[in-house]
Amino acid sequence: MDFKERILTAINHEEPDRVPVMGLILDRATSDRVLGKKPADIGSMLSNPELRDEIKDYMNSSWNDMYYGSWADVLEAAIKLGFDANWTVYAFMQAVEDPESKLGLVLHDVFGRVWELGVDEDGNMMSSYVRGLCTTEEEWDAWVERKRPLYDKLIENVADYHKRLADNYGDRILPIGFAGSGVFENTWQPMGFVNFSKFVYQKPDFVEKVIDFQTDVYLKCLDAVMRSGVEVVLGGDDLSQKTGPFMHPELIERLFGDSYRRVSELVHKRNRKLIWHSCGNIYALLDKFVEWGFDGILTMEPTAGMDLGKVREQVGHKLVLVGNLDVSYLLVRGTQEEVEAAVKKAIRDAAKGGGYILSAAHSHRLVDPTRLKWMIEAAHKYGKYTS
Amino acid sequence: MSGEILEQLKARLLDLDMDGAVELAELVAGGDVRIADAVNAISEGLEVVGQRFQRGEWFLTELVYAGEIARETMDLLSPLMETASSGPLGTVVVGTVAGDLHDLGKDIFINYARSAGFKLIDLGVDVPAEGFVSAVKEHHPLALGMSCLLTTTDSEIGKVIEGLKRQNVRDKVKVIIGGAALTEQFAENAGADAFAPDAVTGTDIIRGWGAS
Ligand code: B12
Repeated sequence: MDFKERILTAINHEEPDRVPVMGLILDRATSDRVLGKKPADIGSMLSNPELRDEIKDYMNSSWNDMYYGSWADVLEAAIKLGFDANWTVYAFMQAVEDPESKLGLVLHDVFGRVWELGVDEDGNMMSSYVRGLCTTEEEWDAWVERKRPLYDKLIENVADYHKRLADNYGDRILPIGFAGSGVFENTWQPMGFVNFSKFVYQKPDFVEKVIDFQTDVYLKCLDAVMRSGVEVVLGGDDLSQKTGPFMHPELIERLFGDSYRRVSELVHKRNRKLIWHSCGNIYALLDKFVEWGFDGILTMEPTAGMDLGKVREQVGHKLVLVGNLDVSYLLVRGTQEEVEAAVKKAIRDAAKGGGYILSAAHSHRLVDPTRLKWMIEAAHKYGKYTS
Repeated sequence: MSGEILEQLKARLLDLDMDGAVELAELVAGGDVRIADAVNAISEGLEVVGQRFQRGEWFLTELVYAGEIARETMDLLSPLMETASSGPLGTVVVGTVAGDLHDLGKDIFINYARSAGFKLIDLGVDVPAEGFVSAVKEHHPLALGMSCLLTTTDSEIGKVIEGLKRQNVRDKVKVIIGGAALTEQFAENAGADAFAPDAVTGTDIIRGWGAS
């Protein structure tokens, strides 16, 4: 059985030759360590104003190639480690000067989010969403109007990017194409969560308008991912945090339920499967995921109390389960015995009858390639289906 | 009459009715209900908000919005308070540790604790250890709160506590921590005084420190 058959069999809740293993957004630091690459010292370059200008111009003129290059590295690293499949993602951003920011430069994405740039201890550039640019309805309207031409461009880029990855790597690993952050995140993040919470009560029409807009763009992105030939697509929204959902599940249903149903319908119309990523404690949403038509879920974060066995008990084989290996200790500092024991437990808890893909619960720069390798080897060793 | 207004004020907060609550607060401000009683009614309402959140009946959106309603009504009432005795319950300095940019948990805690009557000093995200230590020396807070969601940054907590010790202020401030990567056990090992799984519990713990 090859990697593709293995994943697709598991996703159909049948037993492949062995439990498949999937990689996530491998952090740049992790993929560099796997490939033996050294990061360019972007931090000190950015502290020189002339170089900063050059870097900004380079990023803006070569965004797609630069982005593709770093994900090509991720796939190379994932193949080298022995993953059967790996998450692939595209984001469309512009570098903008911002004297208030740490490095003098930030990224703005097409949806109105600001991503702060940082440099990790090895010199890798990192970016993370920190705030929104659309804190009022007027700002949101103006932003969308100004960026309108870019949404078509985004969809074109998504299709090209995923196709390029699938063409170049599809014979060695199964790319699981991510349509970008979901409608919930694209709705609240450009306004900030406190503003979003206020608008839900004070300006429900505005919130609905944003959700409609974001759903429309999201469906087009998802379709573009599928046009690239990707067979399994990944959707995602962090709907939960450490103790439970961000919002009452019924409020999520009322605001986002239709949107999620349309997402599943589109994927199924194209004869694909949809895996959904959410961090946090998601027990209260599992039944919703089934109702909305998702085929599987990815993450099940142990630090938020998610236990694979319990999830399987609650949803049976209505959902494919992907994930659950801890990244707060196990895949950072755990011993080989501990990693093996965790893999065996995950397999015991969730892999019977197929429907389970082993993976880490998330990624960050301290997730250690050696531990990932142990995880994969343990899956090869203990994950064989004998029947 | 005044009892009825106070009950209604609390009820509007618990119905998440901003306009209704603000209208009643204005009525209180211009009328003969004792301001201190109205402030108490809001605090009682917030306690119920906290209980609903901890019981899993309410979620972050409700918690945030109830905090906003409490803040708006308090903004109308606090300037009219007569005595210093009804000033803030104490000062709390809060920030997210160096290298960590997650701010939602910190902000929600700040909103909630502020609406519960504490004075909050927000240091922002990505705060270096020295930043926490010098803020403690400057503001002499009752508690120092640190938010940390990442394994890559959890060693910062220990660094801050060491810094507080070096500057001889560790015994002058209580340290409380929260966030995804942390646990009660972690707090104990790092030498913090408490771990809070959520904003409501955190506020309760600090209230307890203030009272003792
Ligand atoms: C939303 C989110 C993000 C958003 C952050 C948006 C923002 N501006 O804050 C984005 C997408 C940008 C993000 C980025 C990253 N994230 Co993140 N993120 C989350 C997520 C899903 C929810 C966090 C959140 O906002 N919760 C809502 C708030 C209200 O809850 P909270 O923070 O827990 O706070 C509550 C309590 O903990 C407590 N509390 C918190 N702090 C404090 C402080 C005090 C004093 C008190 C009293 C109480 C208290 O009260 C709060 C309210 O009740 C968590 C999952 C999780 N389990 O939490 C992952 C999570 C924290 N992220 C994770 C990771 C790995 C990352 C990235 C490294 C990903 C990457 N590879 O780029 C980056 C890091 C960026 C950086 N340098 O900071 C991992 C961390 C794993 C680990 N062990 O290290 C988590 C746990 C997800 C996972 N599956 O494992 N993330």
